[in-house]
Amino acid sequence: MHHDDSRSETVTLRIHRFAPRPQRDRDRARGGSPFARKSSPFGDSGSRSARRARGKQWVQDYQLEVRPDDTLLDCLLTIKREVDPTLAFRYSCGHGMCGSDAVAVNGTPTLLCKAKVRDWIQQLPGATHDDEGFRRTGDVDDDAQPGTQTTPVDAPSDGTIELAPLPGFPVQRDLIADIDSMLEQITRLKPYLIADGALATTVDGKVDVFEYLQKPEQLAQYEMLTTCITCGVCEGACPVYAGGEAFIGPAALINQARFVNDSRDMATAQRLEAIDSADGIQACQSVRACSRECPVGIDVGEEIWQLIAKVKEREV
Amino acid sequence: MSPKHIEELYDAVIVGAGAAGLSAALGLYRSDAMQALRAQGSEPKILVVSKLQPLRSHTGSAEGGIAASLGNVEPDNWHWHYFDTVKGGDWLVDQDAARVLAQEAPQTVINLERSGVAFSRTKDGLIAQRRFGGHTREFGQEPVKRAAYSADRIGHQILHTLWQQCAAYGVQFAEEWYVSDLVLDETCSRVAGIVAYDTHAGTTHAIAATHVIMATGGAGRLFHTTSNSYDLTGDGMALALQAGLQLEDIEFMQFHPTGLAHTGILLSEASRAEGGVLRNADGEAFMARYAPEHKDLAARDVVSRAMRAEIEAGRGVADPKDPLGPKDCLWLDLTGLDAQHMRAVLPQVVQTVEDYAGLDPSRDYIPVKPTAHYTMGGIPTTLNGQVYTWSDDERHIVDGLYAAGECACVSVHGANRLGGNSLLDACLFGTRAGAMVALRLLDRPAAASDVDPALAEALDAAQACRDAQITDMLATTPPDDVETSEQPTDNAYQLMADLGSVMEAGVAVTCDDASITQALHRLEADLEPRAHALRTHSDARTFNQEITAIWEARHLVELARTMLAATSARHESRGSLYRTDFPQRDDTGFLAHSMTAAGQTPLWQPVHIVNIEPGTRAY
Repeated sequence: MHHDDSRSETVTLRIHRFAPRPQRDRDRARGGSPFARKSSPFGDSGSRSARRARGKQWVQDYQLEVRPDDTLLDCLLTIKREVDPTLAFRYSCGHGMCGSDAVAVNGTPTLLCKAKVRDWIQQLPGATHDDEGFRRTGDVDDDAQPGTQTTPVDAPSDGTIELAPLPGFPVQRDLIADIDSMLEQITRLKPYLIADGALATTVDGKVDVFEYLQKPEQLAQYEMLTTCITCGVCEGACPVYAGGEAFIGPAALINQARFVNDSRDMATAQRLEAIDSADGIQACQSVRACSRECPVGIDVGEEIWQLIAKVKEREV
Repeated sequence: MSPKHIEELYDAVIVGAGAAGLSAALGLYRSDAMQALRAQGSEPKILVVSKLQPLRSHTGSAEGGIAASLGNVEPDNWHWHYFDTVKGGDWLVDQDAARVLAQEAPQTVINLERSGVAFSRTKDGLIAQRRFGGHTREFGQEPVKRAAYSADRIGHQILHTLWQQCAAYGVQFAEEWYVSDLVLDETCSRVAGIVAYDTHAGTTHAIAATHVIMATGGAGRLFHTTSNSYDLTGDGMALALQAGLQLEDIEFMQFHPTGLAHTGILLSEASRAEGGVLRNADGEAFMARYAPEHKDLAARDVVSRAMRAEIEAGRGVADPKDPLGPKDCLWLDLTGLDAQHMRAVLPQVVQTVEDYAGLDPSRDYIPVKPTAHYTMGGIPTTLNGQVYTWSDDERHIVDGLYAAGECACVSVHGANRLGGNSLLDACLFGTRAGAMVALRLLDRPAAASDVDPALAEALDAAQACRDAQITDMLATTPPDDVETSEQPTDNAYQLMADLGSVMEAGVAVTCDDASITQALHRLEADLEPRAHALRTHSDARTFNQEITAIWEARHLVELARTMLAATSARHESRGSLYRTDFPQRDDTGFLAHSMTAAGQTPLWQPVHIVNIEPGTRAY
């Protein structure tokens, strides 16, 4: 379908919304109970279901006049400004650097600020709710009957884009997902350079310690991996991770690969050992769905494959 | 993540988790004083509170570089960096602060590298450096390669590395907590703590602290066209104003010359450092007329004003996306760069142009216009980050209160910041603030760690007031009614958009008394009453983004008024501030920092001159 850039068209944004039950109705224990089942050394997978929020979920349609070049973030900000300020979604820099705004667009995890209307608009049969392509995370307890509410607009819609929270994580409100599990998993694996640790000070206008030397070809071994923005798209795409199986997830592994391949890091052996576990790299089934939508273009699956090779090499 | 419980009294609370906040945390944890405290068996209680998860901070969007006279590529000297910083700031720089900046820059950059930053490298493995506007050798001679870089994503590298190091030290964060109040004692001489709103739980917390470090970033969202993220709403500055403190030099807002037309998204100065050229509608590389020596790499305000002059002379171009729209853009020509080299050294720039303009920078000219980029002014601090107020011609330290980074003004940027100096400022003075707090913790008498009843009372009162305000702000109509109503009432997002237009028309790039007055009028007649009347459209307390958006809108409106007051009082043109009714710099009247409290006209604090006498700022 050809789109003329300057022409505006009417798009229906079909948004999967969620409102948590008010705080007082829930038994909320962020720290977790001392009796909580800990099935994984990475800690979250057993507690993931325990942390899911309960509340009301529904599907809401918004019709907007947009240009094909507009990003979905542009569209949602227009909704906030002009139609419904209660719609909740994370966003910050608006150009793909901060990693805040990963959601599922037509079922595919991607960034709102990088997704354009023209690339995601699709024709759906009739006006009825079509669930095809939408991945359920199983994190939501249905309190209310799912239904579709429509913001009335006269013009017929040129197509529909369906938005849902990032799969693999519990939803907190509307398109906001709780990605703390990913950050905890990354943090648990020592996500920092391990080297001699000496720091420079200025003495008589001169420094007493210099930078670690690293040739451009050594930098090239890991530079791409440092561009990860920790958005969680790879995790939402991974069938093992999003399926709720115990898996530390591609984001934590990419972070480890970043240090394993950094000539300055002295902890390769410990790192490879730490990820060589049932919940670690062994849980990766090399589906490589993680590579497909990475917004910064890391071939996540290939990098994990290389990591697996390094782990195996070490065992020989 | 949220802390599992709130301590009765913190030794240090850091507000904000970008380069300055995280550097402050590391400055604390890594200091000798901290090791000494631990050796004494004392473990200070420290909390970093941020409205964003730290990795979302806007530091991550910084592209071009961080300046330091490492001399890795060609000879350099911190004295030259010091001079360039003072000159770049049009002599409104405190020279003692600029000396510290230039002298400690190499240490700062080396320690970032040793913490893990993946700097681009020379073939010998040293940190690579590139040219950046206003950085010269031999006190203003030819350009020097001083900006250490990591392709064009140095901010991302620094942010992630600092966060990683904080993970190594086990720094505790309260993420997506919005600080709604900075609480001082009644004479503004001592800090009591903060009130923070946990956006997840929907509850406020009174967080008592003997030391608070503000590191909340800038206020680019005052303007419609800005490179700043949606979160850069000047919160820390507004909190300081509301606490009764002053802001220093808040009239100085830097407009970066190359915002991608109408999106405001930054195209790094590195694009010009690597050979990009600005052209007008006639295809002329016009910067040669305005800055014969440094051309496209002249200081940012010089380039932005030259662009404005070209547009006003009718040599602007329309954004190709809106061909019939206003001719308020110019071309950035990168077609002279080798396509492969461009992709290697400017990956972000190339991708931004492809994604958001649909153009191929190796073939197409790129439409650009000046975009609000950096807030030079802010919360006044000493060289060690201590916040002070200015009265009776002297500084009065607010005991326990610190600030660092873009929200602060130690005055290293003066009237205009040089590229590469902002990350440096945030990391360097953030570290110093953290280290200073550690020293204070080590030096203080044991009794100082007890809760002071008067301060606790002030804090509780602020929390109670905030709780009442939230209840009042939450809509009483059920959300279902709102969703179906055809005409939603006013909201914070609309208000912020309108404010951006008012400020853009009022004081962006150039202004005069009439435009300032007009903006003030719009504030008083429209925006302020609307900000006051804002209510949410849902009564939910958890993850209700409207609550924080309303506070952000109010913060911006408060800040806008103060910015306009300071702009109105400065009857001269200097650095980023260009008044067409006072086009000359006036060192007799205004070689001084404006110190503006809410609702007041500015007081004036003399600039610290050490050894560089004010000269002409020609490039």
